[in-house]
Amino acid sequence: MLVILEVFFLFLTALMIVYLVRHYIFTFTVLRRAKIPKADSASTNITYEPTVSILIPARNEEKVIGRLLQRTAELTYPKNKMQLIVVDDASSDGTGQIIDEYSKRYPFIEVLHRDKTEGGKSKTSAMNAGFKQAKGEIILCFDADYYPQKDIVEKLAKPFANSKVGAVQGRVVVLNEPQNIITRLVALERIGGYRVDQEARDSLELIPQFGGTVGGFRRSLLENLGGWDENILAEDTDLTFRVYLAGYRVAYVGDAECYEEAVDNWRAYWTQRYRWARGHMQCCFKHSLNVLKSKNLKAKEKIDGLLLLNVYFMPLIVLVSLVVGVPLIFFESSKLAGILWFSVPISFYSFVGNFAPFFEVGIGAHLDGRRRIQWLIPFLMFTFLYNIPICTKAFIDLVISRILGKNHNVWAKTTHIGNGNSYITNQTICTERLP
Amino acid sequence: MKSIVNCLFLLFLLQLITLCLIASISFISLESTITLFIFDFLFASLTFQLNGTMSRKLGLLAIGNFVGLFWNFVFFNFYSVGAFYFGEFFGAFYTITYPILNLMWIVPFWSLSLSVFPKMQHASALVN
Repeated sequence: MLVILEVFFLFLTALMIVYLVRHYIFTFTVLRRAKIPKADSASTNITYEPTVSILIPARNEEKVIGRLLQRTAELTYPKNKMQLIVVDDASSDGTGQIIDEYSKRYPFIEVLHRDKTEGGKSKTSAMNAGFKQAKGEIILCFDADYYPQKDIVEKLAKPFANSKVGAVQGRVVVLNEPQNIITRLVALERIGGYRVDQEARDSLELIPQFGGTVGGFRRSLLENLGGWDENILAEDTDLTFRVYLAGYRVAYVGDAECYEEAVDNWRAYWTQRYRWARGHMQCCFKHSLNVLKSKNLKAKEKIDGLLLLNVYFMPLIVLVSLVVGVPLIFFESSKLAGILWFSVPISFYSFVGNFAPFFEVGIGAHLDGRRRIQWLIPFLMFTFLYNIPICTKAFIDLVISRILGKNHNVWAKTTHIGNGNSYITNQTICTERLP
Repeated sequence: MKSIVNCLFLLFLLQLITLCLIASISFISLESTITLFIFDFLFASLTFQLNGTMSRKLGLLAIGNFVGLFWNFVFFNFYSVGAFYFGEFFGAFYTITYPILNLMWIVPFWSLSLSVFPKMQHASALVN
């Protein structure tokens, strides 16, 4: 019995060590890249201005939607090549009226009102409705609580000059970071996830992930893929893999920054992460085999793809390795169990938030020119501990729903209350500088 | 002359780090030496690539090794006393908590030390 447990423990710790090594390689790669001076912008300045349709799903977003629409009016991309479709998804507050006002003022803003019979079901449903109305060669997506850079469309459209690029992803930065400890920890997670993880995956030609917002697709590809899958909660991960399986790649543009309003309480954190975890696990069941069998993916893309698909199982694996490892050490089964035990606590600091280890988050923050936010890295252990029950519940719920044959997904929308508005002053995003 | 002094200082720091490793294996345990090695590996391979003088980097690494050595020394003594009173049971407790408690100095020290290095790039705090 102890031997079986030990072999099982060996398997679990091996998995954790694989993830640790993966993220170490990411961090090392980004550090090496940071030392190389960036190519002269003139030499990389490709003039590529396709027609662009921007989709913004909005449901009860009256506190934030005006801020975004005002900002879109300030975008530097030629307005005659830009179409903005705001999907008022059965809002019960003043969202619809605000969008109507902006639509009257700016001709490139179009509104699609959906009533309660057709709308209010999910973001994917709203996106598909907006997509039907889109005319641009490139389809970009933004969430209603986002605040983009003025030249973000140029930056996001540019990679599509390469015909192999099917999708693009920009960088998400937390707008309301100084609000409280939770928003600061989420900001750290975002830094690790985007500044290091996504950038490394892009430069190593692995699988950078489309994050559902601040990104977009080649229209022809999205049409071939049949738009967003409304049965998947993590529609972004799902589309990422569908893009790769179709023979295209996702390009990550780190300097295309967009500012989001992060969740500011543990309840909202739970709701958001539960949706991500469950959706990600759905994608794992849906795509793992396809990734293995695909002829469009290189071996390294397959490995990274499988690791990416399984990442939300890691908190569960750490939990199980704790349960298995402790009795093994108490029964003194072998010296090996004691040595392997080292990897378990390291994993505590290795799968935090967007599942970036502490050294990855720290280096990301340093490369961003941050001085103090790194001091909060030890506290990321608490967000990881919080992720254990979240991912466990998501897994159990998903297994039960599959056994019962009920694939009913409840889209728990993150509520945005406009807390980020106070951090935009004179077009400057305040992070460490102001309280 | 300045470069010779600098070289001597770097050698001195390297000696300190080596001494910490030898002291850990001689007076504490093999586990503590492994922990210091993990810390040294992470620190040397990642933070040594950041901007800043070598003396600053080695200095921080030496301080880190001292902190680790002290931490492990205290914890090992705690274990010795615990094992004396509670016997073998405490050995398992020590094995389980050992790596967790060691991360409690590695992660904060590593995080704090990043603030000592000069910025590599400017913060992207401006939206155009």
